Amino acid sequence: MTKRLTQFKEMASLSNEPIAQITADDLPPIPGIAQPAIPAPRPRWLDTYDFSLDGFSDFEIPAPKTDEEKKRIVEGFFRGLEKLFDPENNWTFVKAFRLSMDYCVRCQTCSEACHTYVGSGHQEIYRPTFRSEILRRIYQRYYTTSGKLLPAFYGADIEVNFKTVWRLLELSYRCNLCRRCVMMCPVGVDNALIAREIRKLFSQELGIAPVELLKKGTRQQLQVGSSTGMRPNAMKSLVSDMEDQIEEKIGRRIEIPVDKKGADILLIHNAGEFLSWPENPAAFAILFDAAGINWTLSSEMLGYDGVNYGVWFDDVELARVALRHLQIARDLGVKKVVVGECGHAHKAMMVIADRVFPGDLCISEMPRESCLPLLYQIAASGRVKFDPSRNNFPITLHDSCNVVRLMGIVKPQREIIKMICAQPLREMTPHGVWNYCCGGGSGFAIMNSLNFGDWRKNVSSRMKVQQIMAVFADVLDPSINKYVIAACSNCKGTIRDAQGHYGLWDQYHIHYGGLVDLMVNAMADLPKPYLEWPEA
Amino acid sequence: MAFEWFMIVMGWLSLGAFLAVATYKITRVTAQPLNVRWEVYPVPHESKARREYGGSYMEEVDWAAKATHPSRLPGLLEIAKEVVYLKRVREFNQYGLWGISLAMHWGLYLGLATIGLAVIETLLGVTFGLTPLVAGVAFTLGAVGSLAIIAKRLTNAELGLYTVPADLFNLGWVAALFILGIIGGLMDTTFAGYRAYVASVLTFKPVPVPPIVLIHFLVLELFFIYMPFTKIIHYIGKYFTFEQTLWDDAFKTKGSAADNKVLQQLGYPVTWNAPHIVPGKTWLEQAQATGLEEGAQK
Ligand code: SF4
Ligand code: SF4
Repeated sequence: MTKRLTQFKEMASLSNEPIAQITADDLPPIPGIAQPAIPAPRPRWLDTYDFSLDGFSDFEIPAPKTDEEKKRIVEGFFRGLEKLFDPENNWTFVKAFRLSMDYCVRCQTCSEACHTYVGSGHQEIYRPTFRSEILRRIYQRYYTTSGKLLPAFYGADIEVNFKTVWRLLELSYRCNLCRRCVMMCPVGVDNALIAREIRKLFSQELGIAPVELLKKGTRQQLQVGSSTGMRPNAMKSLVSDMEDQIEEKIGRRIEIPVDKKGADILLIHNAGEFLSWPENPAAFAILFDAAGINWTLSSEMLGYDGVNYGVWFDDVELARVALRHLQIARDLGVKKVVVGECGHAHKAMMVIADRVFPGDLCISEMPRESCLPLLYQIAASGRVKFDPSRNNFPITLHDSCNVVRLMGIVKPQREIIKMICAQPLREMTPHGVWNYCCGGGSGFAIMNSLNFGDWRKNVSSRMKVQQIMAVFADVLDPSINKYVIAACSNCKGTIRDAQGHYGLWDQYHIHYGGLVDLMVNAMADLPKPYLEWPEA
Repeated sequence: MAFEWFMIVMGWLSLGAFLAVATYKITRVTAQPLNVRWEVYPVPHESKARREYGGSYMEEVDWAAKATHPSRLPGLLEIAKEVVYLKRVREFNQYGLWGISLAMHWGLYLGLATIGLAVIETLLGVTFGLTPLVAGVAFTLGAVGSLAIIAKRLTNAELGLYTVPADLFNLGWVAALFILGIIGGLMDTTFAGYRAYVASVLTFKPVPVPPIVLIHFLVLELFFIYMPFTKIIHYIGKYFTFEQTLWDDAFKTKGSAADNKVLQQLGYPVTWNAPHIVPGKTWLEQAQATGLEEGAQK
């Protein structure tokens, strides 16, 4: 099928027909994988929800029916847009936002950087600049003299109606905020930031955000302690279950410290780990115990869930969650916070929240660090004996964008792998700071309402699956177990879904897991392997 | 002589207007609040070893206790690469824009050098004899580059989608500058008229100058007045996007200037309207509230 060049004006089309159609035939093939069919949205959804961008949506919010409701959203959009440019309401990002709005020279040097644009078979609407250009043109038309006087001359002729606004909202959730495109821009324009600002506008002005991020995300985390819904008591009982499981696996009991005042380190995990991959926090406990580290977990509300979904869509929620994390650490009197294998929690605590709070919560007063340098220090110290032959299978490493490109933590994980694996690391192409996002970045990993998961698995995860298949091309034989290291909860969740969707384990025995799990698997004095492969 | 006087005034006016608008634009950016950290690696002021693979100081344990005093120079050098040979456009040359864009940019740089040369010659009272060569290369590169970009934008449907009439107008203006320069050069091969005009502006002494040279300068001067209002001035934005956003990795210490600035910004009122935002609170108070009970009352 020939690719259709979606025009900007189509954003205002009043039709419910999607302005871009994603079909399996348009998607670039993944060698060795038969492309599964992409199901159409369920007929009963079509009357209630809006699929007019590309036939996908995560917004289980009934589309407004009355003109009054539609007007309210359009007016809210304009109010929010004004606030994005306001130095008080948007002090956090207004500088970077304005620069990116003002200086794009439309050279499209950034386009091919985007795994979503490329992975979709170059669908125009997913080009990094497409959504930015729409916002720019709308702003120009309604807020600049030049745009008001000569709209056609400046291309500021996109009509703003409810459909334009809603499609723009959807479009802001077709970018993983991975910021790979930013690296390629000769002017330093940040299209990901513009996508995030659009999300923020809808969340902070209208309260519209994916249910998984706001209502069941930050709201739930602030209310009960975790976006998973886990309350402090449940966390404590999971920890005690974990102690049992550890005893069963390694033949001795470890007491996992919880709320230990004055410990050197407060370790904060993504709470999803306790539920979906308890072997990961358990591995941290085994390793820290073996290395003699003075550490603790927290059972305070939010203290056991390091996620901060605000990073993806809402500065107020970001600040609320970050503040509580830091206060918990301060109250415990720990020397520093160490963030477990969760990429966005890394960035939230170490990078973004750095300039969100003053004084005693500065990094200089309450240091926050990644677990990766610490794990490397443990591995290099010789305090724990590793036997790499226990990890004798092909391995590759998926880099979490938040950890590599957005924080520059690239080497420690690679050094660890050298010390604990028998086979050399198979680097994906590209990797490190140039990596492709797993497709789950910026909340997509957990967004599964309506048919959004289909979009993620088929479009935004595509390039990652292609990379994984390519890196294992010579060992695809299912008799060889293969392991994709993903030291990030959301990346792991995304790869898990892709694994199921593309049959990566069933056909090729490709599995995934954390880095610390692999370290513990290599611990020489454990009686049996720590890693468990899926049932054959 | 009235037109010659007008052209002398235009020479200074265009320079003054350009500097005034450019300064205004710079001040507008620098007056913005301190952005939260939002860097992207590689960051050029990291050590050479780290820069190569994009590493950061956060790869170390206890990094907050270790002083970091990065030099700004590597960042400026990286930006210079972008200016001199459009580094990123060259590396990721998706639409074959690099060569022609480089030609246009060098046309502009050498065009400015031509004026600079004429200024130096006037001030020193000498003639180096280089002007015809520098101007010839500048105008040819500039004309070829800008016309080729126009052609590319008109013929490539994808680029065309992102090209508005104002872009073509701006590029057309740049092309006109260079074409007029070429015609002027052909009619005034020694560039004596060109230098005479520059000297007349510098000395405030009107002299007869070939009309084509005056038209070339008039178009150039109007461009100088117009340009800072357009995105052609992206070269100024570049310093701020890179140095003050994408490579700004400085962590905050208690009591520092950045810390005080953040404290002040946290006092700004929040008037966002969503149900989870608590009305009438500052940023700091918002962070301290949860917006749960408070929001429900809204
Ligand atoms: S974002 Fe940068 S690379 Fe992309 S079109 Fe704009 S200026 Fe070019
Ligand atoms: S940030 Fe990532 S997903 Fe978003 S447009 Fe850029 S490359 Fe694509």
